[in-house]
Amino acid sequence: MARDLSRLLEHPAIWRGRSAARTRTLSTGFPALDEGLPGGGWPHTGLIEILPSCFGVGELSLLLPALAAMTRRPEARWCAWVAPPLQPFAPALAECGVAPERILVVNARRKDAKGKSALWAFEQMLRSGACDIALAWLRNALPRQIRRLHLAAEQGATLGVLFRPRETARESSPAALRIAVEPAAPGVRVTLLKSRGGARSAIELPAR
Amino acid sequence: MRHRRALELPLEDSAAAPAPRQAPASRSGDLLHPIVGRADAATIAPAELWLAVHLASPSPPAQQNLERLGARAQRLTPRVSLDPPDSLLLEIKGSLHLFGGVAGLSREMAGECSRLQMPCMLAVAPTPLAALALARAGRKLGVSPSRTADSAAVLTITDLAQLVGKLSPLPLAALRWPQDTLNRLARIGVRTIGEALRLPRAGFARRFGTVQLQTLDRLIGRVSDLKDRFEVRPRFRRRRELIYELESHAALLAVLTPLLAQLGEFLQARQCGVLTLECRLRHRGIPPTRCVLRLAAPLADAVQLATLLGERLNALVLPQPVRACELRSGPLVSRILASGELWQPGEHGGGAAAQAPELIERLRARLGPEAVYGLRVIEDHRPEAAWQVREPVMTLPAAARGSQNDPWPFGHRPPWLLPVPRQLNERDGLPRRRGALRLLGEAERIETGWWDGHEIARDYYTAVDARGARLWVFRERELPHRWFLHGVFG
Repeated sequence: MARDLSRLLEHPAIWRGRSAARTRTLSTGFPALDEGLPGGGWPHTGLIEILPSCFGVGELSLLLPALAAMTRRPEARWCAWVAPPLQPFAPALAECGVAPERILVVNARRKDAKGKSALWAFEQMLRSGACDIALAWLRNALPRQIRRLHLAAEQGATLGVLFRPRETARESSPAALRIAVEPAAPGVRVTLLKSRGGARSAIELPAR
Repeated sequence: MRHRRALELPLEDSAAAPAPRQAPASRSGDLLHPIVGRADAATIAPAELWLAVHLASPSPPAQQNLERLGARAQRLTPRVSLDPPDSLLLEIKGSLHLFGGVAGLSREMAGECSRLQMPCMLAVAPTPLAALALARAGRKLGVSPSRTADSAAVLTITDLAQLVGKLSPLPLAALRWPQDTLNRLARIGVRTIGEALRLPRAGFARRFGTVQLQTLDRLIGRVSDLKDRFEVRPRFRRRRELIYELESHAALLAVLTPLLAQLGEFLQARQCGVLTLECRLRHRGIPPTRCVLRLAAPLADAVQLATLLGERLNALVLPQPVRACELRSGPLVSRILASGELWQPGEHGGGAAAQAPELIERLRARLGPEAVYGLRVIEDHRPEAAWQVREPVMTLPAAARGSQNDPWPFGHRPPWLLPVPRQLNERDGLPRRRGALRLLGEAERIETGWWDGHEIARDYYTAVDARGARLWVFRERELPHRWFLHGVFG
C-alpha cells in the first residue's frame, strides 16, 4: 500500500510543497543554476517566465547552452523566436553552438491592439508541437492568457519561455517557473521568484 | 502471289503511310525484291515530320512565355514538346493536310509567334534534332528571323534521303555541344556536321564521348528520338454570383466554402496541390479586391485552405459590398502524400516535420509572408553581411561550430543586432546611453569591404551601461569619430 502510494506520488503531474517535482529536465549548462532549479535544469514542457531587470543584462545567455543542446539533436524541432525586440544575430548564435537551420523568427511587431498578434503567434507555436522551444517577448500578458499559453505548451510538448519586464513580477502568473535576472559584479544574479521546490536564495553565475 | 501479299501486310497496316513511289516497283513482278519491313518503310517515307521553332530574341524567353507559346501551338498538333530555353518542337506529319501543307502550317505557327511578339526561326525536318539544328543555324544560312506571319522563311527538308546532304554544311555549333568538344573538333579541322559524320564511329565515341555520337545518330534518324509531350497544366477557376450583396467576412467565407470544396475535389482527383490561390471579390463599379494566398507546401485539403483563406480575408478591408466571388488556382503541383505518424508530435519518437509547413502557412497568412523566416550564416567579417534571411525549411544543421577542429574565425559577437546602427550621444569622446557607458576590454577592429561597395572602418567595444546591460558599440575610424550602438549582449 505504501509502495503503491509512493509510486503514485512519483507521477510528474503531482507535486508536493516541500519536495521537488519530478519532471524531465534539460541541463542549463550552468552547474550552479542546475543545482538551484527543480529537477536539475529547465523543464522540457510548460511555460517559464524570465524577468530581466533591463533588456540585455544576460537573460538570453542563460538559455544559450540549452538552445545549443536542443537544436543539435538529430530529431530537433524548430526553435522559435516570437516578436524578438531586435534582430537575432545568426553568427553569434552559431558561435554559441546553436544551429541556425533550426531557428524560426516570427516578427509580430505590427501595430495592433496590445501585442495581440504576437500572443496569437506564440500560442500557435506552442500548441502546434512543431517547436522544441519557443521564446517570446511580450509586454502585456494577462494571467489567464499565460495560463492558456501554459496549457498550449503542455499540449504541444514545447518549452515556452516568456521574457517580460521586471515590473511584472508583482502580477500573479500561472507559469511553472519564474526567474528574475539582474546584473551582478562579474556576471548575472538569478532569483527564483516562483518554482516547484527550487532554491530560495539568489544564484550568482559567472560572466560568459 | 499469296505469300507476297502477306509480306506486304505489315507495310500497309503501319500508320507510317507506305511510300507511293515504291508501290509500282513492288508490283512489277520481281520476286527477288527485298522484303520491306517497318523500319525500312520508315526510311523510305519519313514517319514523322518535325517543325522546330527557335525563338531568336537576344535573351532567352522566360519559361512562362515558352509554355504560353506551347499552349498555342497545340492548336496545330497535339504533339508539342518544349526544348528549353528557347525552342519548341511540333510533330506535324498528321496535321499537314489540315493546314495546307508545310507552308500553310508554318505560316500559322509564325502567326502565333508574332502575336506573342517573339521573333522566330522555323525549320522542318524528319528528325527533331535536325529541325532544331536547321532553325538555330538559320541566321548563318542568310535567313533572318521573321517578325510577321507573311514573311515566315522556312528551311525545309521533307525527304529523309536528302537529310544528311542538307545538314552537312551546317556548323557544329548548331548542335549545342559543350564548347570544349567543339574546340577540340575544330583543332582537327572538323567544323561542320558533314565533317563530323564522316569521322569513324568508334574513334569518335572514344575521343568525343558516346553522348555526342548518340546525338549524331538521332540527328540523322539512325535511332529514334523520343520527346516528352508538353501538356498545358490544368487550373481551377470557378465563379459564384451572389443574389445579395455581402459585407461580413464570416458570410463571405461561408459563400466561398462550396467553391473550396469543389477545389478540394478537383485537386484530389488529380493527386495535385496548389501553391498559390487567388480569391477575387467583385464589387459594383470598382475593380475587384484580390486576395492571394501563397503556400509553403502544396495543399489540397479544402478545410485547411478555408482556414488559411479565412485568416487572409479577416485582414482584408472591403471597399464595397461583394457581389460575386471567384476562385482561381495557380499552377497545380503534384503532391506526394506522407504516411501518418504513429506517435503524436513531441511524444517519444514523434516527429514534427509534417506539421511545420502548416504552422508556417498559418502564421504567414495572418502576419504576412515576410514576417516568418529562418536565418543563415554567411562567411563575412562585417556584422551586417554575416547573416541572411532564408526560407523556413527544415534542413539538417551543418557541423557544430565552435568545436576544436572548426574554431570560430571572428571575435565574440552579441546575439542581438540592431538592423541599422544607432548613433549615440557622447561627452568627452566617450559614448553615453542612459548615462556614461563603461568600455570593457580592447577594441576589435573590423574594416574593409571594398568589393561590394559597403566598406566599413570601425573599432568595436563591449560596453556596460548604468543599468548593467552589455552593449556592442563601435567608433568610426574616420572623422568625426562618431559612436554607434550596433548590438546587445542578451
